[in-house]
Formats: sequence, structure tokens, C-alpha cells
Amino acid sequence: MLSPERLALPDYEYLAQRHVLTYMEDAVCQLLENKEDISQYGIARFFTEYFNSVCQGTHILFREFSFIQATPHNRASFLRAFWRCFRTVGKNGDLLTMREYHCLLQLLCPDFPLELTQKAARIVLMDDAMDCLMSFSDFLFAFQIQFYYSEFLESVAAIYQDLLSGKNPNTVIVPTSSSGQHRQRPTLGEASMLEGVEASLFYQCLENLCDRHKYSCPPPALVKEVLSNVQRLTFYGFLVALSKHHGINQALGALPDKGDLMHDPALDEELERL
Amino acid sequence: MAADSGLGDEGPPHGRAPPEHTPAAFSIRLVSFPHLRPAEVPNCGPTWESIRLSEILLLPAASPKSRWPQAEGYKFRAGPAEVEFKLNKETPSFPGRLLQHDLERNYSSRQGDHINLVSSSMPSFPILQRSSEEKILYSDRLTLERQKLTVCPIIDGEEHLRLLNFQHNFITRIQNISNLQRLIFLDLYDNQIEEISGLSTLRSLRVLLLGKNRIKKISNLENLKSLDVLDLHGNQITKIENVNHLCDLRVLNLARNLLSHVDNLNGLDSLTELNLRHNQITFVRDVDNLPCLQRLFLSFNNISTFESVCCLADSTSLSDITFDGNPIAQESWYKHTILQNMMQLRQLDMKRITEEERRMASVVAKKEEEKKRESHKQSLLKEKKRLIINNVARKWDLQQHRITNIATNQDGKDSDSQDHCQNDGSTISAFPEETGSLDSGLTSALQGLSVTDTHLVEVDGDTLSLYGSGALECLDRNWSVQTAGMVTTVSFTFIEFDEIVQVLPKLKIKFPNSLHLKFKETNLVMLQQFNALAELRRVDQLTVDPQGNPVVNFTLWKYYVLFRLSHFNMQKINGTEVTQNDMIMAERLFGILAHVASSELPQYHLISILGDARKKQFRYLLETKGKKPGIVNEENNDSKRLVGESTNRATLNYTTRDFYNEKLEEIKEKKKFCKMYIEDLVKEATEINMKNEALQKLWPQMFIELVRDAVMEIRNKNSYMKLCLQQITDQK
Repeated sequence: MLSPERLALPDYEYLAQRHVLTYMEDAVCQLLENKEDISQYGIARFFTEYFNSVCQGTHILFREFSFIQATPHNRASFLRAFWRCFRTVGKNGDLLTMREYHCLLQLLCPDFPLELTQKAARIVLMDDAMDCLMSFSDFLFAFQIQFYYSEFLESVAAIYQDLLSGKNPNTVIVPTSSSGQHRQRPTLGEASMLEGVEASLFYQCLENLCDRHKYSCPPPALVKEVLSNVQRLTFYGFLVALSKHHGINQALGALPDKGDLMHDPALDEELERL
Repeated sequence: MAADSGLGDEGPPHGRAPPEHTPAAFSIRLVSFPHLRPAEVPNCGPTWESIRLSEILLLPAASPKSRWPQAEGYKFRAGPAEVEFKLNKETPSFPGRLLQHDLERNYSSRQGDHINLVSSSMPSFPILQRSSEEKILYSDRLTLERQKLTVCPIIDGEEHLRLLNFQHNFITRIQNISNLQRLIFLDLYDNQIEEISGLSTLRSLRVLLLGKNRIKKISNLENLKSLDVLDLHGNQITKIENVNHLCDLRVLNLARNLLSHVDNLNGLDSLTELNLRHNQITFVRDVDNLPCLQRLFLSFNNISTFESVCCLADSTSLSDITFDGNPIAQESWYKHTILQNMMQLRQLDMKRITEEERRMASVVAKKEEEKKRESHKQSLLKEKKRLIINNVARKWDLQQHRITNIATNQDGKDSDSQDHCQNDGSTISAFPEETGSLDSGLTSALQGLSVTDTHLVEVDGDTLSLYGSGALECLDRNWSVQTAGMVTTVSFTFIEFDEIVQVLPKLKIKFPNSLHLKFKETNLVMLQQFNALAELRRVDQLTVDPQGNPVVNFTLWKYYVLFRLSHFNMQKINGTEVTQNDMIMAERLFGILAHVASSELPQYHLISILGDARKKQFRYLLETKGKKPGIVNEENNDSKRLVGESTNRATLNYTTRDFYNEKLEEIKEKKKFCKMYIEDLVKEATEINMKNEALQKLWPQMFIELVRDAVMEIRNKNSYMKLCLQQITDQK
């Protein structure tokens, strides 16, 4: 606990990194919202319950999207909650459409945005047939990647587009004798013919990204692992690989491994009781 | 003498089976009229009026279908006096028209009449000559029946002839009789005449029998102004024409022709009997212009509606009419419609009309009238409703951005057309009085209520139907307990579900027996929305029409409904029964959600979600958790039950999007405050922390200085003691 690193950070930064303030603010807000009821059984008890639920990951139930998105812990808790609540749907074997999954998400978070679900679906479906049916596990893992790392993925997408159009953010483009514009078109054609971008180049950019930005991103080592298997890959290919990578899933810590997805003895017991 | 009756049908052949054909010696017996007493045999003589012709027995048609009783003959007037045809009431044993020219029967009794037909100088026309005996005996009549004549012979020296009979020959043209200007009776039945001609000099002609020929057109009758009986049955006539001048005509027989309609009858001021059986008549006109018409036979035609013969209602003289064999006679309303519209009738289809029948007819007619009015009203109502629903639908589509506003012109037109059926919403049952009096006692189950062109509310027995969001206001109205109590089904169409949610409490109160809810075009898109139905008292059946409700496309929607509304014990969803398996599946799929939603939520959150009403119950439950379970009073049970059956899922609520956003807006202020507050706290804390840290850093130094100062003070014991004492005295 009292590691020197912790103490090395200045106060604000420390608080920010742990998102302590977010929770404090939210707790106080909740207190204000329900002061009549909470005053019944004491403020201390309220705070206990609140932070307990934060630890357990139940604090995000039926909360607004802005709160759920606020911290990585919230996101992970939400994913976990979604898995636990609707594991039975997956177990039943039903294949659902993107809209239906979105509906289920909305049961837990009424204002969950559709775009996120759509993007997650795109990862699974790889093409524009948005009305296709998806299995629970496919969707869940893709959704995990999309939701947990959403900002990261946006940057990656931008990088990918750059690479695709021949602009390497790392290197400097040297104009050749012919006009620049004329140059670009053939490279585009090249890139699309060869489908995707070169893996190693891609990794370099991603590494830079991870270093530069503070928000959560998958452990670079694991990313390297993903990219080392292939020569070239497309954006969605990359995302699919991310979603299926066990290591990343474990690093996230929200969901169990794919094999264990349908198992949850504790809740199964509860179910039997109902 | 003879009773009034209709002419029988003239189809069948005139006489008996042709007698043995006499050899080609052309000797013809003049067949006289066997049933006449000698005294009655017509005399020749100047006073034609005293002639009595013999009976002409007219039999019903040969066809077995005919069911008319034997015709009894008819009366007609020839000139000032009456000439009667006596009737033989014998039933004939053979079909067909039996003219009393009964050859075989009377042949023997009237022997001696010889007629010679010698060939003339003109090779085509034979010349007829009679013996002078016969000429004197039967100077006014001549029969040339069945003589195989192909042409009319030239009749010489018979200028006094009054009756001429050419029946059953093969004559194709009427010729050579122009000189017989005294002719009164001309019978050309059963020949091959194709055209009426050669009659222009026969100005005295009273009876013209041209039945069973091949005449296609009525023509060349201009001079026959005295015509009393015109028989053209069994021809190919398609049109009634050129008879308008026959003002003395009393009997007109056009049966078995090709007439398709009847008109052009004006001018026949004496016509008493008109026989139009066995034609193809579809409508009848001009009959009301016949002032004397008493009998009209329209059997076996193609009349199917009363409108096609409506002119008959205006005829005051008609007493006898037949319609059998027409499509109209098969209709259920046939008899009483005829009777009701033709009060002057005495016989219909050859049967006397009784008082009872008339009375029945008028009763039935009244009922029909009522029914018609009623159904007219109904269809008006329906039409109005349909228009309104269309309008509501279009508005809905516009709202849903399904159609663009291009059709604004059309909108304008529609609203114009509906202006006249618009009402102020406060009146009940308000349709403009278009069809005269509005029956206050609407017997139908339909009661159209408040109607404007933007929404429609309709109560139909046990169903309350609401179209358009404006219709929701009707729940504010005062409903009679009876009406409201009968309503078991409530149907919502073209209304946003979010709006419906807001009036559900009112629905619960006003229509306590509503068990079946139907939603169509209500924009149900999320499973969550079904949570809102939980607050109702009870729902047995739920119908969500796929049209306009995308939620139905979800695989799991039914299970979710069953899960969330499990305390209703629903019987049917969208018409299919709910099975035990369905319930189990629903629990299996979503049971954990309920568990999570209730047990894993922190208490404060639970309470804030449940809302005021539940809060009390919940608090009660919280408090009673510790108490002994033995305490039983109603309140306890009730609240426990209420809470117990839905606590599990009670947290699964639905707030409409608008509400939700409103709430979030409200919270923003609080959030801002919290943020500032926390920031202050953090600032304080960090300040303190900084101070703490600074202190930590400085403390060693400070401590050393403190120690050094203290040590330095105590170095000289004596001066230190003095210092302390001084300090003490100073203090005092």
C-alpha cells in the first residue's frame, strides 16, 4: 500500500489516477438526491454501502451512461454486471440481433448510446449486415473491447486510416519528382490490394500511442503478441484479434475466459432457488 | 260472360295434330265453329256488330313448366257492341291451343263445303273459288287452314268476307287480300311470314292474329286504326314500335318474342291486357301511360329489380300482374315490395291477394325501410370512422418521419372534406344530421363518441379503442359506471407508448376491468417499456401488433414480458396461450436480472428507484425484518404481499426518455455543486497534507533547535535557577 511510487505522485495526480474524486463526487451527489431517505439510517452507513458497492461493482446498475463511462473500473463493473445478468440468455443459445443486445444493455443503463453497440456489432460481423444474428459470447467480447477501450480504439482507427492512405505518422514523407497527389493514389491502391497495413509498422504507431496517452489501453506486450502473428491486417481484423485474445481479457479482469463464460455457480444456485 | 282472365301462353301449336292430309285435290272443308248453336252462327249481314264469333279456347303453354290455370278466354270490343268469345271450359287432353276449329270432330257435321283452288293465269298465285252454296252459307268467313299454302291465294268475289283464316300454312307474305276491305278477323297463325305488310287497305280489321311467324318488326299497321286484338306471339320482334296509333287496341300479345325492354307504349289508350311472357325483358317503362291496362303478364323474363318496373306503381288501372319466372320472384323481398308499391293490385302471379298478405307486406316493408336506414347510418358512421382513422394514421406517419410533407395539398383537401364531420370534442354522439332524423335509440352496439379529425375514441361493447394521441384525453372524462365496467379490452393505435405510460394510472382507475391491452403503431422499441405496464392492476392478455412496434422483432420479447409481468399471470400474448414452459423459460432467462436488481443494489439506490409509494412499504419491510414473524394483521400481509410479489422486479422501471433527460438535467446542478464541494474538500485536504509534509520535513530541524535551545539554557545551573524563579515572580 505505502509503496514509494504512490507517494511519489503529487496529490491531484494521484487522486485523478485512482478516480477517487469521481466517486466522492458521485457519492455526495447521491446523498443530496436522496437525503430524506438516507438521513433515516445514517450517513456513515450510506457511505459504507456506497463504497462497498463500488468495490463489488454493483454501483453502476441502472445508472446513467455518463457515470458508467467515467472510470475504467465502472466500465469493467458494467461489463461484468451485463455478463452476469444475461449469461442465461447466452446459455440458452439464442442468437440475437444487434438491436436486441442493445435493448438488453438498456435494461441496465437506460441511456446507453446505440453507436457503441453498433461499433461492437461491426467488430463481430465484419461487414455492414447489421441485422445479422450474433452469439452472446461473440458479442460480449467484442463489446468489451469496444466499450472498455473506446477512446483507444478511436485513435487506432485514425492511425489505421493514416497508414492506409500512406501517411506514416512516424516517418516524414519525402516528395518525389512527380506531383504529390499523383503519388498518393497508387499507394492507396496498393494498400487496399494488399489489404490492411503492415503489422510491424502498425505496432510502432500503437506503441507511441500507448506511451503518449494516459487513458487505458491494452498492455503493449499483449498488443505486440497480437500483431506478431500476422504480416498484414485490417482494422477490424485487429479488433477481432483483440477481442478474442485471452490475455487481454484477463488483463481487463471483468469477464472470465471464453470457456467459462456460461458458468457462474453462485448465481446458478440463486436461479435454482427462484 | 266470360270471366276476365289472362291470355294463356301462345306458344304451342294452334290446333290438334294435323288431320289426315287430304289429297291434293284442294278440297277444303270450311270448318265452322262446332260449339256454336246454330242460332249463334254468325250471320252475314250488314250489321257486323251482332256477330258472335265462336269460342276460341286458349290453353296454357305446352311447356310442362307452366302452371297457370286454364285461361278462360277474353272479352274484347269490336265496335260499339260487344263481341264475345265464349269459352269452352273443357280441359283439353292435348297440349296446345285448340281452336274450336275442330276438324275431326266437326268435319262430318259440316260436310259439303267445297272450295276449289284452281290455278290461275299467274302461275304463283292460285285463285280461290267457292261454290256458291258455301258462299251464301258462309259468306263472311273463309278458312284456309292447313292447306299447305305457300302464298296467299287470290280470293275472288268475296268482298264481303269478314273472317279469314290462314292458320297452319307456309305463307311467307301477306298478299292478295287488299280487296277484302270488310275484313274484321284475319288469322295467319303459324305461317312463315317475315314482315307485316299488305294490310294497308283493311281499315276495318279488328283482330289480327300473327302468332308463330317470323316477323322481326312491327310495322305497316298505320291504317288499322280499329284494331282490337293484335297477336304477335312467337315471332322475332325486338322492339315495340309503330303501335302508338292503335287507340282501340285492347289486347296486345307479344309473348315469346325477343323483346329486351318495354317502352313506347303511349297512345294505346284502350289497352287492357298486355302479354309479354317469355321475352328477355329487363325493364319496363311507359306502362303508366296506359290508362286502361288491367292485366300485365311479365312471366319468364329477366326482371331482377323493382326499380326496373317501377312505373307500374304509378299505374292506377293495373289489377293483375305476373312476374313468375323472373329473377325478381326469387328475391326474399319480392312479394311485399310488389304489394307495398302496387296497392291497386288484386292478383299477383295469378293468385288473389288477401288482406292478410297486404298487411304483412306493409309491415315487412316498414321493417326493411328501418333496416335500410339503420344500415345507411351504420355505413355513414363507419365511413366517418375510417376517414378519421386514415387521417390519424397519416399524422402518425408524418410524425414518425415515414412520409414527407409533400402531400400538403392532399392534407388540405382532406381536412376540407372532413370539416363537415368535425365536431367540438365535448359532445357525445355527434354526427351531422344528414339522413334526416337521427335515431336516438341506437340499437347497434357501436357508439361513436367524441370525434374530431385528429383522434377517435370508440366504445364497442367491451372494447375501448383509442386512435391518435388526442384520444388519451378521454380518460379524463366522466364515464358511466356501467359503460366503464363493461370495458375489458383497451386498444391503442397511433399513439406513442411513452404517452400511454403517463395515463396508465388513470386507466387503472377509470376502467378497472380492463384485462386485455392491445398496442398497434405505438412505437414500442425497448423491452424496458414493458416495465411500465407493471403498475396496472391486472393484465390477462397482451397483444402487440408487429406493425409499428419494432420490439416484436426481438426474439426474447415475450419472455421478458412474462418475466416482468409475472405477477399478472398472463393468459395470452398475441393470441397464443402462455404455457408453463414459457413461464419457466422466462424465469430462466431473466431471473438473475431480477435477483441482481433487487439484492445487489445498495439500499439507498433501491429506495430511490422504487419511488414514494413503495418507499413506505419497503421501509416498513425493512423495519419489520427484525420483528417476530407472528405479527399478523391485514396491513402487514397486504404490504408484504404487494411488496413480495414485485420487489424482486420492482426496480425494473421504465421512465420515458423525456422524463429521464429531465431528471438528468435537474441533477446537473447538484453535480456541479458536489464537484465544487469536493474540490474544496480536496483543496483543504491537500493543503493540510502539504502542511503535514512540510512539517515532516522541517521537524527534525526544528527538533534539533528546540533541544539545542533547551540544552543551552540549562548549561549554567545557577543562572538557570535564577531565571526560572524570576519567571515565576513575573507571572504573578
